[in-house]
Amino acid sequence: MARKKDRRASDPVSATAVVMVLYITDSGPNSLRAVANLEAICKEHLQDNFRLEIIDVLEYPLRALADGIVVTPSLAKLSPLPTATVVGNLSDRSGVLRALGIVE
Amino acid sequence: MEPAVSLPNPTPSSTDAERSFQKAILRLVKGGAERLAIEAGQIDAIIDPGNGNAILLPAAQRALIERKTGFRSLIGLAFDWYWELDDRYRFVSYRGAAGDAGGPAEEGIIGKTLWELPIDNMSESDWRTHRQQLEWRVIFRDLEIRYLDRAGRVRYLSITGEPIFDDRNQFKGYRGITRDITERRQVALAQEPHRFQPAVIDALVAPIAVLDQAGVVLSSNQAWRAFAATHCGAGAGVAVSSNYLAVCDDACGTEQVDGRAIAAGIRQVIAGERALFRYDYACDSPAGDSWFALSVTATTGNGNACAVVSCEDITERKFGELLLELELTVARCLADAGTATAGLQAVIRSICETQGWDCGRYFCADQAAGVLCFIESWGVRSAVIERFLEKSRGMVFRPGAGLAGRVYQSGQPLWILDGRRGAGSPTALAPETGENGAFVFPVEADDKVIGVLAFSSSKIREPDDRMLEAVHSIGSQLGRFLRRQQVVDALRRSEMRYRTLNDLTSDWYWEQDSHFRFTQVVGCSPAGTGDILGLTHWDLPNVVLPGGWGEHLSHLAARWSFCDFEFAIVHPDGKHAYYSICGEPVYDEAHAFIGYCGTGVDITTRKRAELALRESESRWRSLAELQD
Repeated sequence: MARKKDRRASDPVSATAVVMVLYITDSGPNSLRAVANLEAICKEHLQDNFRLEIIDVLEYPLRALADGIVVTPSLAKLSPLPTATVVGNLSDRSGVLRALGIVE
Repeated sequence: MEPAVSLPNPTPSSTDAERSFQKAILRLVKGGAERLAIEAGQIDAIIDPGNGNAILLPAAQRALIERKTGFRSLIGLAFDWYWELDDRYRFVSYRGAAGDAGGPAEEGIIGKTLWELPIDNMSESDWRTHRQQLEWRVIFRDLEIRYLDRAGRVRYLSITGEPIFDDRNQFKGYRGITRDITERRQVALAQEPHRFQPAVIDALVAPIAVLDQAGVVLSSNQAWRAFAATHCGAGAGVAVSSNYLAVCDDACGTEQVDGRAIAAGIRQVIAGERALFRYDYACDSPAGDSWFALSVTATTGNGNACAVVSCEDITERKFGELLLELELTVARCLADAGTATAGLQAVIRSICETQGWDCGRYFCADQAAGVLCFIESWGVRSAVIERFLEKSRGMVFRPGAGLAGRVYQSGQPLWILDGRRGAGSPTALAPETGENGAFVFPVEADDKVIGVLAFSSSKIREPDDRMLEAVHSIGSQLGRFLRRQQVVDALRRSEMRYRTLNDLTSDWYWEQDSHFRFTQVVGCSPAGTGDILGLTHWDLPNVVLPGGWGEHLSHLAARWSFCDFEFAIVHPDGKHAYYSICGEPVYDEAHAFIGYCGTGVDITTRKRAELALRESESRWRSLAELQD
């Protein structure tokens, strides 16, 4: 599964837009939870100003290897810099916000 | 595509194994965050750094297995068999519900293509299309096939398939599912007649309506709806939900009789008193008079439906019958008519009454003068028509003049729609009525036009091809009749003259059979008429023939004609009456002798004068001898 969520698809990704990749394992329980947690955070804090790609490692195993992903679920923030990675089901809301550079 | 996942066999009782597995996993993970997440149970899989494969943790494994099981269960609900074909479209796998006799046996399928199976609803063209789909590697859906299963029952299967490609995108074959749709198909087939019926009924030419017990139209076909929209007449114009019986009951005017008869018949059918009711009726339509044969039949077992009404347009047949009847009537009229006048009147009247003309006139061709003269007419009782016919008396047409003259000249029938704007020559009825139609046709005998019949109507009449054809027969019949009447009249006049002459030369006429017995005596015979029938001349009472009958009998035996054969009869007062007869033998068509006929004259006066003269002569001779 490779899904992309670009809430500004018609426009080039702005400098302030958060670009993320979420690595999951099909319908693993933590993967499903991670998707749900990230959706909630994006909705609350990023509104439409983000681009999210979801990679199922069972479908694209080499992609995770190439991106240096060790476990799933893992969330990689690619931009804005600095990059950051969060592992686990993203239930640590404050940790995720910190990694995404969002200050509450 | 099956995921490349190493799946250990986790079970709820393998907690120790899970712990040792987790320890082994942790050895693969170097990062502290990952290790913490694993220990917190927030990780589903670890990526093998050697090949990138995902190593599922037990919880994730269970979740995926459950999901796969659930998916398989759902898939199992969606189809009955799963199959795979190789790159030559041969079955390599065919799996379905265990023990299901509905599908084809696997052993009978493996190695065969679909078109090699005993499927009986696919034509060669269908298979060509299907093979083309396979060649194009497209997904095919719901290919419906029919075959006999292992139990010998007809089964319907729906097949859906998609092409399979390997990692290098090389075509490997097809895989797909098969669903048994026999039950659904049989239900559809069972319902087919119900879908079929309205279409069939709509396709019928005859208007049909179905009535309930109260006479309300429950349904009708297309022809009925068109009929209701365009025709009038008893019961016409009745749509669905209208009460046909009520419309028939309420019919008025000329349709009242038909309406009541039809309503009564329908009620009898609905009440079960009769299975079928038929009724022919006429009605006016925009295209002219039409005839319909109405049939009402009882129906049961169709819900509220009690009777089916159908109407058949029998106008063509009816007009044909009417014309045939007219020809027979004309023939009968002519056979019964004693005179040309009576025959002409009867024929004109028949045509007027059956064909709806107001009046008819006959103009006879005067061959010597070369004109048509008015001879006879008949018309309906109307002041206008009577005035018109009165004006026609004494009318004479030259060939080519007027409608009658044109028909006389051409020998062809002529139909005029409207005398005022018709074919040039106005008919005489137009000024009387404001508009008229006319129909004129020749009366022929011996291939010659001997007269013309002209019919007129105050209404415009559309040309009737059937009538135009029928008039040839009617004109010929009438012509032969008139010609025969001319001959009969001439013969009658000749006979009259002969009788007059005969009356002047004889006192009576007699006929005898082959035994010389009187069979007919006309006139004043020696002994009256009734007294001598059955007698011979020599049997007559008080007959006196001095020389005897011998010589006369020999003449009769020899079938000789005889003339001035004299005999006497003694009357009661003792006086003699003298008669002279002439006769000749009569033969039939086969030349067989059938008797004698002849005439008789009372010669008593002459005979007595002769006798007196003879006596006087005798006396003179006696006196002369005395003197000598």
